[in-house]
Amino acid sequence: MENIKVLVGLASCGIAAGANKVFEKFNQIKENEHLPFELTKTGCIGMCYREPLVEIIDESGSYLYGEIDENKTIEIIEKHIKLGEPVKEYVVKTELFQNEDDTYWQGQVKIALRNCGVINPEIIEEYENRGGYQAIKNLIKNNIQSEQVIQTIIESGIRGRGGGGFPTGMKWKFAAASKSDEKYIICNADEGDPGAFMDRSVLEGDPHAVLEGMTIAAYAIGATEGVIYCRAEYPLAIKRLNIALEQAREKGYLGKNAHGKQGWNFDIHVKEGAGAFVCGEETALMASVEGRRGMPRKRPPFPAVSGLWKKPTNINNVETFANIPYIVLNGASSYNKYGTEKSKGTKVFALTGKIKRGGLVEVPMGISIKDIIFKLGGGIQNNKKFKAVQLGGPSGGCIPEYLSDTPVDYESITATGAIMGSGGMVVMDETTCMVDMARFFLDFTQKESCGKCTFCRIGTKRMLEILTRITEGEGKEGDIELLEQLAYQIKDSSLCGLGQTAPNPVLTTIKYFRHEYEAHIRDKKCPAHSCKKLITYTVDEDKCTGCTVCAKNCPVNAISGERKQIHFINQDACIKCGVCFSKCKFEAIKLS
Amino acid sequence: MNEINVILNGKPVVGKAGESVLDLAKRNGIEIPTLCHDPRLEPYSSCFVCVVEIEGMRGLQPSCSTKITEGMKINTDNDKIHKARKSALDLIVSNHYADCVAPCKQTCPAGVDVQGYISLIEKGMYSEAVALIKQVNPLPAVCGRVCVRPCEAACRRNLLEENAGVGIDYMKRFASDMDLQSPNRYIAKAKPATGKKVAIIGAGPGGLSAAWFLQLEGHYCDIYEASPKPGGWLRYGIPEYRLPNDIIDKEVNAILELGLSQIHYNQKLGDNLSYKNLKQKYDAVILTIGSQGSTPVGCEGDDAENVFGGVDFLRNMEITGQRYNFKGKTVAVIGGGNTAMDCCRTSIRCHADKVYVLYRRTENEMPANPIEIHESKLEGVEYMFLTAPKKINKDENGKVKSITCLKMELGEPDASGRRRPVPVEGSDFDLPVDYILAAIGQKTLAPFIEDINQNADNGKFALNKYGNIDVNPATLQTGIPNVFSAGDAVKGPATAIEAIAQARRAALSCHQYLTGQEIKAEDYEFISRKDNFKKQTPTDYKGKFVNKNRHEMPTLQANQRLNFNEVELGYENEQVAQEEASRCLECGCVEYYTCDLKKHSTEYHATQENFKGDFREYNIRFDHPFIEIDNNKCILCARCVRICNEVVGANALGLVNRGFDTYVAPNLGLSLTETDCESCGLCISACPTAAISENVIFKPGPIKTEPVNSICNYCSVGCELEYHTKKDFVWRVTGANGFINKDTNICSYAKFGYNYINDKKRLTTPLYKENGTWKQISFEEAFKIITEQLNKQQGPHTAFFTGGRLTNEEMLLAQKLATTTNSTIGSFQYIGRGNGYAENSFANVPFDDIEKAEHIYILGTEINYEHPVVGYMIFNHQHKNEIQVSQITTIKNNKLTKKVNNTIVVDSYYYFIKAANHYLLSNNLQNQLFINQNSQHFEVYKTQLLSEKYEILIQKSGVDKATIEKFAKEYNEIHHAIIVFSEKNVSANASLELQNLALITGKLGKTAMGLISLKEKNNSEGLFNLGIGEGLDNFNKITNLNDHSLIDKLNSLQIKNFFIFGEDPIGTAIDKAKVEHWFNQASFIVVQDYFMTETAQKANLILPASLPYETGGSFTNTQRTIQKIEKQKNPPFKYCNIGQLIALAKKLGIHNFDSVDDVHEELNHLFANAKPMTFVFRSTEQDNQITLFKNGCDNINQQFMDYFDKKLTKKNKYEAVQ
Repeated sequence: MENIKVLVGLASCGIAAGANKVFEKFNQIKENEHLPFELTKTGCIGMCYREPLVEIIDESGSYLYGEIDENKTIEIIEKHIKLGEPVKEYVVKTELFQNEDDTYWQGQVKIALRNCGVINPEIIEEYENRGGYQAIKNLIKNNIQSEQVIQTIIESGIRGRGGGGFPTGMKWKFAAASKSDEKYIICNADEGDPGAFMDRSVLEGDPHAVLEGMTIAAYAIGATEGVIYCRAEYPLAIKRLNIALEQAREKGYLGKNAHGKQGWNFDIHVKEGAGAFVCGEETALMASVEGRRGMPRKRPPFPAVSGLWKKPTNINNVETFANIPYIVLNGASSYNKYGTEKSKGTKVFALTGKIKRGGLVEVPMGISIKDIIFKLGGGIQNNKKFKAVQLGGPSGGCIPEYLSDTPVDYESITATGAIMGSGGMVVMDETTCMVDMARFFLDFTQKESCGKCTFCRIGTKRMLEILTRITEGEGKEGDIELLEQLAYQIKDSSLCGLGQTAPNPVLTTIKYFRHEYEAHIRDKKCPAHSCKKLITYTVDEDKCTGCTVCAKNCPVNAISGERKQIHFINQDACIKCGVCFSKCKFEAIKLS
Repeated sequence: MNEINVILNGKPVVGKAGESVLDLAKRNGIEIPTLCHDPRLEPYSSCFVCVVEIEGMRGLQPSCSTKITEGMKINTDNDKIHKARKSALDLIVSNHYADCVAPCKQTCPAGVDVQGYISLIEKGMYSEAVALIKQVNPLPAVCGRVCVRPCEAACRRNLLEENAGVGIDYMKRFASDMDLQSPNRYIAKAKPATGKKVAIIGAGPGGLSAAWFLQLEGHYCDIYEASPKPGGWLRYGIPEYRLPNDIIDKEVNAILELGLSQIHYNQKLGDNLSYKNLKQKYDAVILTIGSQGSTPVGCEGDDAENVFGGVDFLRNMEITGQRYNFKGKTVAVIGGGNTAMDCCRTSIRCHADKVYVLYRRTENEMPANPIEIHESKLEGVEYMFLTAPKKINKDENGKVKSITCLKMELGEPDASGRRRPVPVEGSDFDLPVDYILAAIGQKTLAPFIEDINQNADNGKFALNKYGNIDVNPATLQTGIPNVFSAGDAVKGPATAIEAIAQARRAALSCHQYLTGQEIKAEDYEFISRKDNFKKQTPTDYKGKFVNKNRHEMPTLQANQRLNFNEVELGYENEQVAQEEASRCLECGCVEYYTCDLKKHSTEYHATQENFKGDFREYNIRFDHPFIEIDNNKCILCARCVRICNEVVGANALGLVNRGFDTYVAPNLGLSLTETDCESCGLCISACPTAAISENVIFKPGPIKTEPVNSICNYCSVGCELEYHTKKDFVWRVTGANGFINKDTNICSYAKFGYNYINDKKRLTTPLYKENGTWKQISFEEAFKIITEQLNKQQGPHTAFFTGGRLTNEEMLLAQKLATTTNSTIGSFQYIGRGNGYAENSFANVPFDDIEKAEHIYILGTEINYEHPVVGYMIFNHQHKNEIQVSQITTIKNNKLTKKVNNTIVVDSYYYFIKAANHYLLSNNLQNQLFINQNSQHFEVYKTQLLSEKYEILIQKSGVDKATIEKFAKEYNEIHHAIIVFSEKNVSANASLELQNLALITGKLGKTAMGLISLKEKNNSEGLFNLGIGEGLDNFNKITNLNDHSLIDKLNSLQIKNFFIFGEDPIGTAIDKAKVEHWFNQASFIVVQDYFMTETAQKANLILPASLPYETGGSFTNTQRTIQKIEKQKNPPFKYCNIGQLIALAKKLGIHNFDSVDDVHEELNHLFANAKPMTFVFRSTEQDNQITLFKNGCDNINQQFMDYFDKKLTKKNKYEAVQ
């Protein structure tokens, strides 16, 4: 039993699903019964749809248990740990026998997430045991020149994983070329897209990879200070970063004469963001770090020339930095062997929405959207029809089902009107109204506009008002054209990425689903039966048995009818919540 | 390298490195619109109005923040750019919940600027008010009596106090009557004659107005009037008790007075006048013929005798001069409009026994002016509402006997929106009457149509389906190109003001025709309206303004009205008019003439409807006494926030919230008065709209003002100002592009310290004290008394005192007077302070070089309150270039502490600097080469200084040794280090030691290093140059008059005769008893000042003082820059300051000056011959006294400080109800 290792996935998502209780249960039984197995925490394992996740590694191999609760914990301890008999029905992944979830893993290549769900993020040695800090140590030991490091990064082909897709090596090159006594490295950990959580998972699951990536960047450009700008809504990530920073300082990896390199006093600290989405934009981010209101400014000058405190600054996001140690340690070819001609390596995606298996996947660039959704993601929930996928969050766009063969690489995605973004994939089925979806994302961006640029501040508000009236059946002829006009002007005339991309969801839905807009405006109908003001629930008199279930469940008492009599929905009172529709066992509630 | 070649709109041009596209375009004559850009600030790019297209760059680029690069191809205007700019403006104005124009002006058919003239009336500028009105309405005295006042109905006061709109019309009448009585009555001036001739048919309000507007453009007009007198319906329709004929005559005269028109009476077109003649003699014709026909009652029997059309009834009396005698008769007036009112009230005056008004609806629906209904009832008129005539019954002679009436009831609303009267079956009743006056309506009579059409060369003249003259509604051009028409003939019977408005339009079209321009509707003007967002309701106003009762019009007692005397008597006095003016809520925007948003929105045809949607509404903030924040008008360009940060360094304003909910607010949710706001008003200067404006104590207009340029007369920095004046009143002050304040920045003193100029308490006549009471005397008498005294009291017991606010020319003349009379001269400002201030201006770092400094030390001044404009230069440099700014102060937590990088608190500036000098010299750290080459007496100084004990100097400085030495070393070693200090708190000997320090360190007089000294008054420096301030013996002043012992003479009461110009030693004394004592045994005191100061109260004779721009002359600023001020206005009295001094000089036998220029010339001559300056080390033994007076010994500085302190603790002007 001493050789058995139990890892509990304790990233935020796991904790939210109850993983803390599971961990406590394991710990309690282990203590009470003096069981000698090893119990440890780990970060995000990736299969969000199966949380809480527990991995048990014994002599025979590894078993990943999914959807574990306290009772199942007891059972697993009794059977697997004590008797060596894995509880097969809870196992979601093992190499020892086949499993229905296996396709989730097939095709994944873990580089950025290489340690997530494997190591305990609060123990630096676990990171080091997997080759951590070796890359930077090699650079210093062999006195590798800055140019050479940058060359490796350029050759690896890695591009900014925060959404911009600018070649990372080039960015470093510019920063390195700027002459200054002081330079800064900033890690952008202000992950703000709704539905995106890869950065959080990396920070929670493998913080040292980010620190090492930043240290390598600092080494390459000659930076003297690092800042991790992390949103305050990620308390666990901040906690683990601070633990990691403390450990790294203790080991001499940060601080005075970092890694033993004389005169190199490089340290990193965490700056908590106050929750403004726009602070993910690099110029706004720097303003925020400086203590000013987070508002973007015009570039040039680019941060590589004049950034934080007007000093040369290099900004990359979490995922980008997490890849760096791997690339430097294993060489550019270890990375650029994956991917397409212009989009190298792997990319982490967060699958959400109407998909069976929501979670984090890391795949080589070039894989098709269809493969991600159907092979890895297992297809659409409730076997509904796949309609579209929103890529790139509120700044991105939707890609319709008929373009699902599109490979995920920067150029192909951009050609559809969407963007790669940070990797959020929101999957939509036939019940999603595309106008409402666009409205949802625009509502987000217009609220998150910093309020500086006219078009972004007022233009998005006006677009939202138009979309709202369309979904409420008040749309007018010419509204689509007005939306398009405003959308292009907002894109053309905004200082930062937020404004420049905010209209994307609207433009792509108009491009691919114009008929849905027209149906709302001209026929006052929502084809997806989603917009509440445009739908009615009625009772199909032929099917109604008078069972009273609908009436009992109606939250506003809008349904009347005697037992065994046909029921009636009072349209004036109905709030169109759809409870009756879902509760009726006889399909007697009609939606039109 | 500095030249960059770019292609601008297809043309190669050369730009400068670092230049923005906006600036480049501007230099090349291309004006790119922008709202958020301010040349004083770093580029920001938020409005996106300034976008341009740049080849190879995606989207559009904001030109303000796009720097040009080699080979850049820029396009500043095309369809895409134009559309984007328009969209940006459309979006901005879609959330601009504000009124450009008040509803009164908007509602007025003629667009009379009501808010503007109310503002003028408030200040007693009646003729100016009339001038403003006459720009669009030449008949204000007439309209002030008879207008139907749609403005007052639209007035928002009605929302605050029901049915009590501001008495706009009464005020207009008051102003017009005042103007007509005034010797300086407004007389308009026509442009030079064009030689074009226009015939105008009809001398009613339309025709008279058309003549007015055409004459103003220089066109000759002949008015042909069918009646024997002018006025049209004004005379023949409106009875005299409402509009006396002499009022009409006066206003007609004012029109004819323009000199390019004549009225030809008893000439009627189509009768004794043919279009054929007109066509030959005139270039164009305007028909303002009115609606002459009255509508008959329209029932059986309306042909009976004694049934008249209402207007015919009124006209007949006027034409014949005979009044009907209705004694013992009963009169029925049919109708409910204003003509019915005129008929019934006239009938009463014709002694009728009984007068009925029959109206088929109820009183609520009556179109007549409510005040008319009210007055008619007072006069005894009886109303029969819901009553209509069915039949008129005749007696045997065919005369009216009675009317058979029908009762009515109100049914559904008709097309006019009023409820339609429906007869009640069987309600017939008979009403016995003797006369019937039908005031039902009028129609246009045009018996000359054929005449015109037969004679016209082209086009066709016609009537429309309503029987009125058919015109293009936008231009009022008839079917014949050179014939225009206006007034009732076009509209049908309407009001005088509508006729006037149309006449202006017709005159404009006619002018366009005559000058060969295209006849077109007026250009688009963007007007923001709150009503475009929501209907205004009482809740928007109640509780936000103080309630004030309306002043009602005084009228004749009801029992005194059986005559045609004017019933309304006009406001009792000016106070009533001004109180009524104070009720104006100033709905229109004060920046109407200057708003950038309005300007660009007009140019780009932006509208508030295009992106109509949600909008944000804010309460206007009046919590700061000088600064008003109206977020409704804010476009979030953040210029205010940025200037407060980048230039002022106060950071008093910030942006709150995100996205559409963003707004500007004082920091930390405080009131602006609780923030670090310095009340400088630069935010106001930065605002492109009126979101931040001056919280004024008067009605600000908007008014078109005249600029008066001057140099600020508070401190010695020498900022150039522009006073925005009209008549003698200063509306606001802004910074000009001065020699010193090149960026137009000014401070709180200049910005808000102008109210003394508007103060009615200002002295305007010489005063002489007899038996303890003041008597007004003439200047001639005053000069006589003064010369008598001077001749009598010549010698050492007589002293002249000149203040630092005087011009150099005044100082020179005062000095001449003193010399001639063997008297002494000095300036209280410097008395008793020793002689160490004379030299400190000679080798100052020019203000322009502040931006080259590496480290600035501010010593002994809260510069952001005492010399703020220099403060802006320092803190803007600190913001841009992150230089170090330190302060050395005796006040631990002062107003500067937050802004500087570090603070050294000392007990004594003198010992602090002296100790630093000691440290440098005892360690041989001096710049010996510089000292040897540039100065004298170093060794003497060194020996003397080193003989003093270092420890004692340190101890007396109140600072530890390390701090002093660190400072001394730093100042010595940092190349471009500057010490900025103010004489206000730094003694004369400390000033000398500072100069010694700058010599020791080799910095004095070298580029961007050394010293900047700041003096308290605008021309304090002039006092030294003219030998009035205490200086050193070899100082290169042009005379050597100053008297070192003046302070002792004052203390020992040896001075008996005081001639004090521009100083208030008693009012500003720190120790008042001591200063008052000096005057105790005085035999004669003369004071010249603006106000009855405390010193003036002690005087025997007071002369009123003129303002710099009423005087002319020059000031020498603290850096010895001499700046001239032209005399641009006359003072409100005969002799300006210079005039007074020249007159006195002549009386004393000095005859070489006749004007300020003569004096200036002598000054130039004296300065040209002045000795050059050499630097000398000066030893000092101990510290000396600072000053005996606050505020530069000047009453206006004192007044401003008192006002500032008082206002900043008081509430706002509207005393908003909480």
